[in-house]
Amino acid sequence: MSMSTQHGGGNRKPSTKAVSGAKPKQGGDEDLPEDVLDDSVDSDSEGPDSDEVSEAPVLRPKASPRKSAPVRKTAPAGKRPSAATRPPAKKIAPVKVKHGTSWGPIALFTTVGVLALGIIGFAGYQVYEHGLSWQDRADKIQGIHDYRKSDPALVDQRDHVWGPQKYTMSPPVAGNHNQNWQRCQGDVYPAAIASEHALHSMEHGAVWIAYNPDLPAAQVETLAKKVRGKDYMLMAPYPGLDKPISLQAWGFQLKVDNASDKRIDEFIKALRQNASLESGTPCSSGDVITETGTTPRDLGKDAAATPKQGN
Amino acid sequence: MFTQLSGRARLTLGALVAVLLLVTGTAIGYLIPTFRQPGDDSVDAGFARDMSVHHAQAVEMAMFAYRLGSSDDIRTLGYDIAASQQWQIGQMQTWLTEWHLSPNTSNKPMSWMPDGQNALQPDGRMPGMASTDELKKLKSSTGKDFDTLWCQLMLRHHLGGIHMAEISAKKAQVQEVRDAAEKIRVSQQYDISALTEKLKDLGAQPLSS
Repeated sequence: MSMSTQHGGGNRKPSTKAVSGAKPKQGGDEDLPEDVLDDSVDSDSEGPDSDEVSEAPVLRPKASPRKSAPVRKTAPAGKRPSAATRPPAKKIAPVKVKHGTSWGPIALFTTVGVLALGIIGFAGYQVYEHGLSWQDRADKIQGIHDYRKSDPALVDQRDHVWGPQKYTMSPPVAGNHNQNWQRCQGDVYPAAIASEHALHSMEHGAVWIAYNPDLPAAQVETLAKKVRGKDYMLMAPYPGLDKPISLQAWGFQLKVDNASDKRIDEFIKALRQNASLESGTPCSSGDVITETGTTPRDLGKDAAATPKQGN
Repeated sequence: MFTQLSGRARLTLGALVAVLLLVTGTAIGYLIPTFRQPGDDSVDAGFARDMSVHHAQAVEMAMFAYRLGSSDDIRTLGYDIAASQQWQIGQMQTWLTEWHLSPNTSNKPMSWMPDGQNALQPDGRMPGMASTDELKKLKSSTGKDFDTLWCQLMLRHHLGGIHMAEISAKKAQVQEVRDAAEKIRVSQQYDISALTEKLKDLGAQPLSS
């Protein structure tokens, strides 16, 4: 960081140097004569900036041979007429002077320019990266279905209801669901669970991993390791699943063939908690459901029957 | 060199340099806060993520106590723990949002702590976290049995989590995080004393691990 600002200021020094022809050191490394410059820049470059600074020495050696020759001629130019043997050289020399002196500054301006553009470019990249929402990141996962985009009406169905529901998708990613949510604090259920409860967990921000009961035990264990001990995660077999594994978050689905598929982690990373419709609602407590079985358990239905309760 | 250029060219060049410096300065200015914020692998982010999960189970157990505790002091302690730790979860999640970090990571739990991985239980749970079976047993017990088991599980839970708070109180880069971690450490220390006393009154021992 600080190096680049030094360079921003430093690029003006050589220009004055070229004019005054100041060879004596003024403390600053960039005031040294060209042939010394390479070494001094190298020794000055500290750690992280060294590769950026090293661009300058690459350009300079090319400049110095052409440059140094005419520059030295300019100084004694006034005395030369006395020799009187090579008058034509006099006319060519000034042209070379103009051409030669501009190489140093050009190299410096280029270096500084490249550095500046690098910084600006990096800042731009940061703006882009930080600007990506979790939904953008999810949508970048290959094969994911974002129903929040493709079917907003479906995703908006989220009433709390009693009894079994019919869902158009299997497993569902949105829809009316039971008042009680399935416990989703890293729960690995050995048998199928009710979608009516799982949907409520997803509404709270959980990722639900469903797998076909045929999935080999080793793969089931691979999946379980991604779930156990993790809040906002639950997993259960799902009989009749059309693919070996299906991941759900509210409004999102990704079906994969193998537990080692890298997109599983990407899905979890993008959507766990982020896809919650009710930030801060837990995966625990309440009339929490830890039982398996695909028929929803209407805990609290009797109490709710007389005075209608909220969610 | 400037002397060899015309006045107009000098002006143009000067303006160009000025613009370049200005834009570079703006870019640096934009980047500095980003560099100063905790990164994805920082102690701060690790603490916010893992303590949220650890707290969530304490909240669940505390809600059980509020509902099923057989004495007022157990119900009150449950209420206290549930309300305060749920608030802290919100605080920690807000930090992550402010730092533009996801609540999620591919890192293993506690990998941000020195030797943190070794502290995990064999099945990957963080230290002090109760198993599903233990929670089921807790939920189905009543009376003095419930009070005893609850104190035992909550004591072990606090003891397992306090190390995370200790490390973060020292090593987090953001002052606010260090302060919050220290508060968590101190208040859990008080809870630990209270739970130990309670177990003594109930004539029971803390769990061995």
